[in-house]
Amino acid sequence: MKQVTVQLFGAFSDLDPRREVTVEVAGPRIADLRLALRQLLAARWPGFGVELLDYSAFADTQQVLRDHEALPADGRVAILPPVSGG
Amino acid sequence: MQPQDSWKVVERADAGLDAAEGIAFVSDPGFGGIDVFIGKVRDLNQGRRVRGITYDLFEPLVLGEFERLVAETRAAFGPRIRLYVAHAKGRLAVGDVAVVVAAGAPHRDEAFRACRALIEAVKHRSPIWKQEHYEDGDSVWSEGCSLCHTDDQEALR
Repeated sequence: MKQVTVQLFGAFSDLDPRREVTVEVAGPRIADLRLALRQLLAARWPGFGVELLDYSAFADTQQVLRDHEALPADGRVAILPPVSGG
Repeated sequence: MQPQDSWKVVERADAGLDAAEGIAFVSDPGFGGIDVFIGKVRDLNQGRRVRGITYDLFEPLVLGEFERLVAETRAAFGPRIRLYVAHAKGRLAVGDVAVVVAAGAPHRDEAFRACRALIEAVKHRSPIWKQEHYEDGDSVWSEGCSLCHTDDQEALR
């Protein structure tokens, strides 16, 4: 299991005042994080619309990370819900 | 030598965005056309009276994405072009400027098209989120464009 800290943005930022959550991830890829986060959201915030996760991407400080890509070595990832700038 | 392009994020508590700065930046003695897009906070959205907007940004990735978008726009409409992007961060009031995109080029056609392409890319691809605050006290995160790719959706199945 790998411990991953997820920075929360947009609607996800309402979940925790520190704007981050820590989740235990069973596999090495972003897809594994998505699965673990889905379970965490359902358990800890049952009122939150977990389907938002389906439309959200993950990223490090340099780029968006696709589901087949490896989790960053430093264990820090941002979750990016659908964007609405401008 | 002055850089050809500029992009930045400005915390609203520190300063407001200045479209004149963008116009000055993309100006050049050889450029006859400048196009500027100014995005402002409006007082009504989908029938609800708006008091303000909070912009949340993943700033390091926003700056990296602005750099990529400017490079793509330059590749499409340059090389004789200058580009400017500035986006606000934090709590904005109605009438505040949220985003400025400016493009300068020898002729109006490139300036118009580059400015339009760049603001559309900024809106659709930058990790920026808008939370509207209404007069009734409610606040809602706006729906937006997903940054997920097809392979992500495939992985969900």
